[in-house]
Amino acid sequence: MTRRAAIIGTSAIPVGRYQTKPGDEFQVVEHELLARLVIEAMRDSHAERSRVKSIVVAQPRPYTRQQYFSTFMASYLKLPCSGIVMEVLGNGLTAALAFDKAIDEVLLGRTEVALALAVNMESAVSARDHMMESMRKTGDVDFHAPAGFTPISWYALDMMRYMHEHKVTRADIAAVAVKNRRHAGLNPLAQYRQPISLEEVLSQRPIVEPLGLYEVPPRGDGAACVVVASEDYARHLGIPFVLVRSRAFFHEGAHQINDTPTDMIALDAAVIASRAAYNDAGIGPQDIDVAELYAPCTIVEVLASEAAGLVSRGRGAHAAKSGETSLGGRIPISTSGGLTSRGHPSYATPLYNVVELADQLRGRGGDRQVANAELALLMNELGNYNAAMVHVLEAHR
Amino acid sequence: MSMEIVSVAHERRYPPRVTKFTEPFWRGLREGSFLTTRCQSCGRLSFPPKPLCPHCWHDQVSWELLPPGGRLYSWTRIHAGPAIFEPDLPHEVGIVDLACGIRLACPLQGTAVDWQCDMAVRLITLSYTDGPLLAATPA
Repeated sequence: MTRRAAIIGTSAIPVGRYQTKPGDEFQVVEHELLARLVIEAMRDSHAERSRVKSIVVAQPRPYTRQQYFSTFMASYLKLPCSGIVMEVLGNGLTAALAFDKAIDEVLLGRTEVALALAVNMESAVSARDHMMESMRKTGDVDFHAPAGFTPISWYALDMMRYMHEHKVTRADIAAVAVKNRRHAGLNPLAQYRQPISLEEVLSQRPIVEPLGLYEVPPRGDGAACVVVASEDYARHLGIPFVLVRSRAFFHEGAHQINDTPTDMIALDAAVIASRAAYNDAGIGPQDIDVAELYAPCTIVEVLASEAAGLVSRGRGAHAAKSGETSLGGRIPISTSGGLTSRGHPSYATPLYNVVELADQLRGRGGDRQVANAELALLMNELGNYNAAMVHVLEAHR
Repeated sequence: MSMEIVSVAHERRYPPRVTKFTEPFWRGLREGSFLTTRCQSCGRLSFPPKPLCPHCWHDQVSWELLPPGGRLYSWTRIHAGPAIFEPDLPHEVGIVDLACGIRLACPLQGTAVDWQCDMAVRLITLSYTDGPLLAATPA
């Protein structure tokens, strides 16, 4: 039988502001937070420490002083490994790559148990300074960065086009922010949990028009650990686990701006990767019970949920407004609160999405539990960086 | 096919690097010409200009002067930006589909313009004190 991988343990700190400023008397350091999470997640999994032979770490932000973070963590935890010890980096996919590579290590038979780790600290760096670096990630650094693009300005460009083509308003799309804040109110890991009204969302200062403050991700810090194991080992442990049913990836060979015009708001990579993942799992989008998306802005949840076939094209905003994508609705999306409310420590965010789905599929969702959740969609897609990574996850209780 | 040249009384906030290969683009832009590369094998245009053809991987390309007309695919007004762009905030950027078939992204120029998706626009040269940038303005 083909070897398969499973999620057997998770842990994360609530998303928030942890990063200290250089002059603060006591500093918060990444490895102290992360080491504690590894022990918590391993305890959650019941796995034996000696089974861990691979560690994959999402590369921390440049603000993290400790470098060569993966071998440093292996040393901090005294974990000799024969599979791999490494850091990964790939735009917003960074922590998704840590998860994906941890799965690979298990599938290749290099280890029975692999750790995927992520820590993202940035909240003490002001947005204006943070963007001095992130502006170099927009398009071609010599042909586009001189125009003053910021990463989220690309989502604003998507939103203008979407509103134009589908005749929906900013208020329609802002329903996503209201819905996700309601979800976040039920999630102890969420950064912002107080309910917000549509009027409050619309009255915030503009960031990149038409998006205002509550329609874009807050700044925040976070850390998470996911324990991946072979299906056989997960069964041997005799605990509830989450099987990785399928996985797909696609990149269009285009980085933000493609000189050959395409439909920018179709998110082709997300369409292709989600279809491939459904096919490999032998399911369709209608079989998905709950979904977590990498959607930094309200418009991205709309576009990504349409691309994944969870809602029909042009209906994503209405689905949020009507309750279709809310807890209790036809297909709950972003039950964690999503990136605008649970928070967006970017290089850790995809692991937070894994943590949420692992909770849902193991029946640990508390007040935000989706009843009888069996199949979940984990989609990390990169908007106009035109890449998407999709995992279909299945409950084994 | 020459473009309007609009003077800007300060330096570019984040100047591009010029390579030996891209120098003709920047020289042309300074003089109000929009130039990019066309593959000598498959005939397709590329932007930004490249010393090889990304479509067929042929390594012979030629420079071509192109007309500056097109349509605005999308646009946004940026209110929060990096420290060095703060003097310009808010400022507008857009994506332009040129009649020659090229899509590009650039700053938008013009005061109190009611920007709309699909409106007709044309490329212009913004002439800063230290060099040019490409931008679009209503046609």
